[in-house]
Amino acid sequence: MKHSGIVRAIATLTTVVVVAAACSSSAATQAASQPASAAPTSAAAPSSSAAAPSAPAKTYTIGYSNGGGVGNGFREEQLCTARAEALSSGQVSKITVTSRNTDAAGQLQDIRDLIAKGVNAIVFNPNDPAALNPALVEAQAAGIKTVSVDAYVTDPNTYNLYNNQVKYAYLGATWLFKQLNGTGTVYYMRGIAGNPADDDRDIGFKQALAENPGIKVVPAAGVATGWDPPTATKLANEFIASGQYDTIQGIWTSGIDSEVVDAIKAAGKPYVPIVGTDRGSFIKQLLDPVGYPGLKGVAVTNTAAVGGAGVNLALKLLNGTTVTPTAGAKPNTVLLDPIAVDNLTDAGKAQLKGWLAVTLPDPSWPLGITIDGWTTYTPAQAVPPAGCKGPGE
Amino acid sequence: MSAATAPVDSGRVALAGLLGSSARRNAWILGLLGFLALLLVFTKLIQPNYGVPGIQGLAISVLPLALAAVAQAIVVISGGIDLSIGSMMALISVVSATLMAGQSEQFDVAVVVGVLVLGLLLGAVNGGLAVVTRVPDIVVTLAMSFVWAGCALLVADSPGGGAAQWLKDLVTGSIGNEWIPKPAVVLVAVVALIWIPVRRSRLGLSIYGVGSDRLAAFRSGVSVGRTRILAYALMGLFAALAGLSLTASTGIGTPVPGPYTLMSVAAIVLGGVSLAGGRGGVFGPIVAVMILQIIRTDMTFLDVDTNLATVLQGLILIGVVMIGSIVQIRRARG
Repeated sequence: MKHSGIVRAIATLTTVVVVAAACSSSAATQAASQPASAAPTSAAAPSSSAAAPSAPAKTYTIGYSNGGGVGNGFREEQLCTARAEALSSGQVSKITVTSRNTDAAGQLQDIRDLIAKGVNAIVFNPNDPAALNPALVEAQAAGIKTVSVDAYVTDPNTYNLYNNQVKYAYLGATWLFKQLNGTGTVYYMRGIAGNPADDDRDIGFKQALAENPGIKVVPAAGVATGWDPPTATKLANEFIASGQYDTIQGIWTSGIDSEVVDAIKAAGKPYVPIVGTDRGSFIKQLLDPVGYPGLKGVAVTNTAAVGGAGVNLALKLLNGTTVTPTAGAKPNTVLLDPIAVDNLTDAGKAQLKGWLAVTLPDPSWPLGITIDGWTTYTPAQAVPPAGCKGPGE
Repeated sequence: MSAATAPVDSGRVALAGLLGSSARRNAWILGLLGFLALLLVFTKLIQPNYGVPGIQGLAISVLPLALAAVAQAIVVISGGIDLSIGSMMALISVVSATLMAGQSEQFDVAVVVGVLVLGLLLGAVNGGLAVVTRVPDIVVTLAMSFVWAGCALLVADSPGGGAAQWLKDLVTGSIGNEWIPKPAVVLVAVVALIWIPVRRSRLGLSIYGVGSDRLAAFRSGVSVGRTRILAYALMGLFAALAGLSLTASTGIGTPVPGPYTLMSVAAIVLGGVSLAGGRGGVFGPIVAVMILQIIRTDMTFLDVDTNLATVLQGLILIGVVMIGSIVQIRRARG
């Protein structure tokens, strides 16, 4: 048994890794799994009354499955908003959350566990558009409503609810091209090649481009930041060092924005108009004329409150309320519209300041934590440690 | 007459001894089965409507992991270890899904056979490198895990592809009685058709021999290198089956490896396979996989915080293995 030492070491190591996997916040998935952006679709409205529960006193149980991005602010905020919405709706007796970094097969198991648990509805952030369909069909056979949030699934009987990424890119790009009066060159900083959200954003960007024939884009296909802050910083530094920055008039980013602004500041170059998203770091730059003199920018929202909105949608389906799918979208799909707010007017600045009013656990959490008409909780109910609690927790 | 009784008596003694030793040898597995039964009863208690759908869900989620655990068990019994199983599964999964997308059912049969052969080859490459270079298995296979994972991404950089309907049907639903899920039948059939004949053959004996004492096996005329490579090839075959089961259950291929490598190591340790080699079987690890999966399901039923559930899984694992080690040490002393 000369190996026994090694054996014991491996056994211990395996266990430690299993434990560590739970305790770590999985930095790798963090960067890659989501458009790094943040998000009020309609700003941080304290609470909306549009979907307030009035009549139904029935109590439902909800299952929520998240298959990746554990530790990523965008995903964690989704889970918290789902819990908050379940609590605030008054119609949910229990929300069971399964959240781990896994593959589609692992998420299939999580969804099947929720089916076996006998929940009334399953809200999930899908790991794949098609792979979960077998379990979704089983859920529907058991009378369970299924709602996919943050991305769509191809199952025809599942409702999808996610941010309109085509419009996200279109709004920001249109603002930018308007700042340039329709002529000039724009640096195009994208997310992850092949990611569905990135594909949709490219469509929106190209739509705005088609309406502005005087605009030139470098590089033509865009550069991929991977929604990874260090990558975006490196790309921006190289772009400035090569002298190309001096030849452009605007920058469009897919949400990794404040890093680019800081790179320009560090190089001592004048700012060009820039498109970003509602991350705290970027909003603070937009509102800081002393630290960033002459910075003109727009923040396009990309809400993480889709978790809460998904629970809201599931309750509507359970109560038999008619849900109108968004026209022109995929079947059974509700798209949440982003809004764009710039720092050029006092009204815009005031709105941006309002977003910063919510205290969030860390800077990677999207600022807008509620959605008018789709969430009923107060921001405080969704923010840990005091909030982020489901019914009975 | 006396001449006849003597052998009968000694035969009886031998039989009793054999039964005793086999009971001892199987004590761990019997313990695991008891634990599994307890868990099932516990699950039924906390979730009274746990029934056919639950068992079917369990069977299909167990399948890929159980095949991965069988793969790991074989290579560990032969005295090695393979840390590239998860990457191999990903590679097989994308290759099969990419080739099967939009093809005829007949062509897909050829694809399945092809990827199984590919699995054998991948395993043999791992084993061959470890044998020829004499670099420790753990290093070779860790390095190869990056190679196979990279190959998977080269084949397809995002999840996609398709799977034949017959392949998907093979792992969904039940056969005959609704309590007999098809994935469980597939698992039993595959293991019975491949591992049991090997186990009973000369190769099986060599695998156990090489695993428990390489030098003694060599001196008894066993070709150590050849045996190890064949054990790795068998591992590759089961890893390919595991990868195929992923494609079958999800209908797509995923290039990024799932958590299967470490879970397979965890399952064999819990399943009574000695990491020093030469001891254990494939049945224990399969039961262990079922236990690990049910524990996760129970955590969901009990609404245990999802992050805490993973911590508890690890703690339960180390607890069970520690108890097992103490039992083994006591037995060795007694």
